[in-house]
Amino acid sequence: MSNASMDSVQVRGAAIKIQNQPSPWAAFAIRVAFILGLMILWELVTAFSGVPTYLFPPLIGPRIDTEGVFHLVHPGSVLAAFQRIVSDGSLLASTLSSFGRMAIGYSVSVVGGVALGTLIARNWYVRQTIGSMVLSLQSLPSICWLPFALIWVGINENAIILVIVLGALFAIAISTEGAIRNVPPIYTKVGRVLGAKRLALAKDVLFFAALPELLGGLKVGWTFAWRALMAAELIRADVAGIGAQLQVGRDFNDMALMFASVITILAIGLLVDLLIFGTAERAVRRRWGLEK
Amino acid sequence: MSIEFQSVQKFFQRPGKGGMGRVQALSPTTFNIQSGEFFSIIGPSGCGKSTLLNLLAGLDEPSAGKVLVDGVEVKEPGPDRAVVFQEHGLMPWMTVRHNVEYGLKLAGMAPKDRQEKAMQYLRMVHLSKFAESYPHQLSGGMRQRVSIARALALEPRILLMDEPFSALDAQTRDVLQDELQRIWEETRTTILFVTHHLSEAVYLSDRVMIMTAPPGSIKRIVRVPFAHPRQKTSNELSAFINDLHQDIKTEVDIVAARELDPDWQPENAIRQEDGIVMQGEGI
Ligand SMILES: Nc1ncnc2c1ncn2[C@@H]1O[C@H](COP(=O)(O)OP(=O)(O)O)[C@@H](O)[C@H]1O
Ligand SMILES: [Mg+2]
Repeated sequence: MSNASMDSVQVRGAAIKIQNQPSPWAAFAIRVAFILGLMILWELVTAFSGVPTYLFPPLIGPRIDTEGVFHLVHPGSVLAAFQRIVSDGSLLASTLSSFGRMAIGYSVSVVGGVALGTLIARNWYVRQTIGSMVLSLQSLPSICWLPFALIWVGINENAIILVIVLGALFAIAISTEGAIRNVPPIYTKVGRVLGAKRLALAKDVLFFAALPELLGGLKVGWTFAWRALMAAELIRADVAGIGAQLQVGRDFNDMALMFASVITILAIGLLVDLLIFGTAERAVRRRWGLEK
Repeated sequence: MSIEFQSVQKFFQRPGKGGMGRVQALSPTTFNIQSGEFFSIIGPSGCGKSTLLNLLAGLDEPSAGKVLVDGVEVKEPGPDRAVVFQEHGLMPWMTVRHNVEYGLKLAGMAPKDRQEKAMQYLRMVHLSKFAESYPHQLSGGMRQRVSIARALALEPRILLMDEPFSALDAQTRDVLQDELQRIWEETRTTILFVTHHLSEAVYLSDRVMIMTAPPGSIKRIVRVPFAHPRQKTSNELSAFINDLHQDIKTEVDIVAARELDPDWQPENAIRQEDGIVMQGEGI
């Protein structure tokens, strides 16, 4: 299936066909339309299925009450929950504290994971020893480390950050190893004959040659870090955070708040992918000539 | 300047039936390349041409024997020995100019000087217009020109070229052969040129070394007795190429007979020379 259409253009009186890629705006419009469609479906289901609001709240819930008065926003709706957490500042506070933890935990994972992955790829001994263990460590859900973290570093922020690091570092190390080992040997040969020694070869040649695949690894690492953080915050609901906010919703049987929290988590994931990783990947692919 | 290969041998490890086995890529090989010479190596695939070139480049070590440049044993790569590979190996994240500058930067040259030098050599390969383009915006032939400029910019004492035109289409290859002849006459750099095209080797070289089927050894070294610049279409060149042709075909047929089904016969029915024993692969 092709997503490119053909446009006819007149050149010196003759009609020629030109391959026409869909514009970024068309892609954006389709995404928005899809999400709007889902939201409408949600409204219809909650309005007509008879499921009680405390189990499955409407997004907005417009209705006309018995006196014939029109209400746009149902007080038990997800939108009402959003209004509440926006106006009392708790959405901003929990988003900021979640992001603060992510910033530290993810940075540590990136630096540590890239370094570890490079070592595994470049050193036979490290590969045979640590390299073989990293995969099994990665298969352990990082939330399993929380009990350890709480005892090792105490009941505090650092325990959650440690869980983020353990959730993302191994995933990033594994992708980094793959990215470096997949670098075509010609770049190493060229680098060496041009006079690059170990360090120059690593930072000028291997790093950039591995970058397109490495970015994919950093993105996967980000999702692992984000998941680990949400899980840790769910358990440690006494701290501020979006995951904690979800747990608060559960404690108060506030289904609308729970949905608002999940939507926030998804929206942040989508935005980070779109704005940060999407932009970086597009820039690299264009520069490398991997896409037009 | 002189280059000496002294009884150079190379073995590789290769997984075989009973664990790792050793394969001889190169029988003891001794020859010299003179200063300013255009020296070609030709032979069937797998005969050890790239191995020889990599040993001189310092990318690999001989299993026995020595490679000497001006009497000094080659231990590692160095900017006095620039290499052009069959794959251009341009870094896709660098502009054309930065690709050419990279080796100069590693050598510690100041930014202004290396930019000038890069432009000088890009002009030599007629690509100064594309200095700020990225490799993916160039055609295959243009990329190989850049990779030649990148090697020349190091102003090496010897330029090593491993089948540099083999991945190009015939027309582009033709043009680049002429360019290489001109560049060699301008710079008078010593060139070690590996190819499997006989006419290309004869057209360009002062001497051509013909190698035997693996494990490679020297079959003959012939001097091409014509002055440069040469005409590709000249009759004496064609006659010379025809004379050498059978020498190489014999070796190519030996390789083919090993690789193909037993029912394969060389076209002109002179089967392998007596005394050549079939070698088992990967023992
Ligand atoms: N790194 C290597 N490991 C194992 N065998 C190798 C390696 N490099 C080359 N060889 C073997 O050595 C022989 C000569 O290879 P090469 O020099 O590349 O041949 P040519 O360039 O003449 O085609 C071949 O049989 C090849 O398979
Ligand atoms: Mg070769």
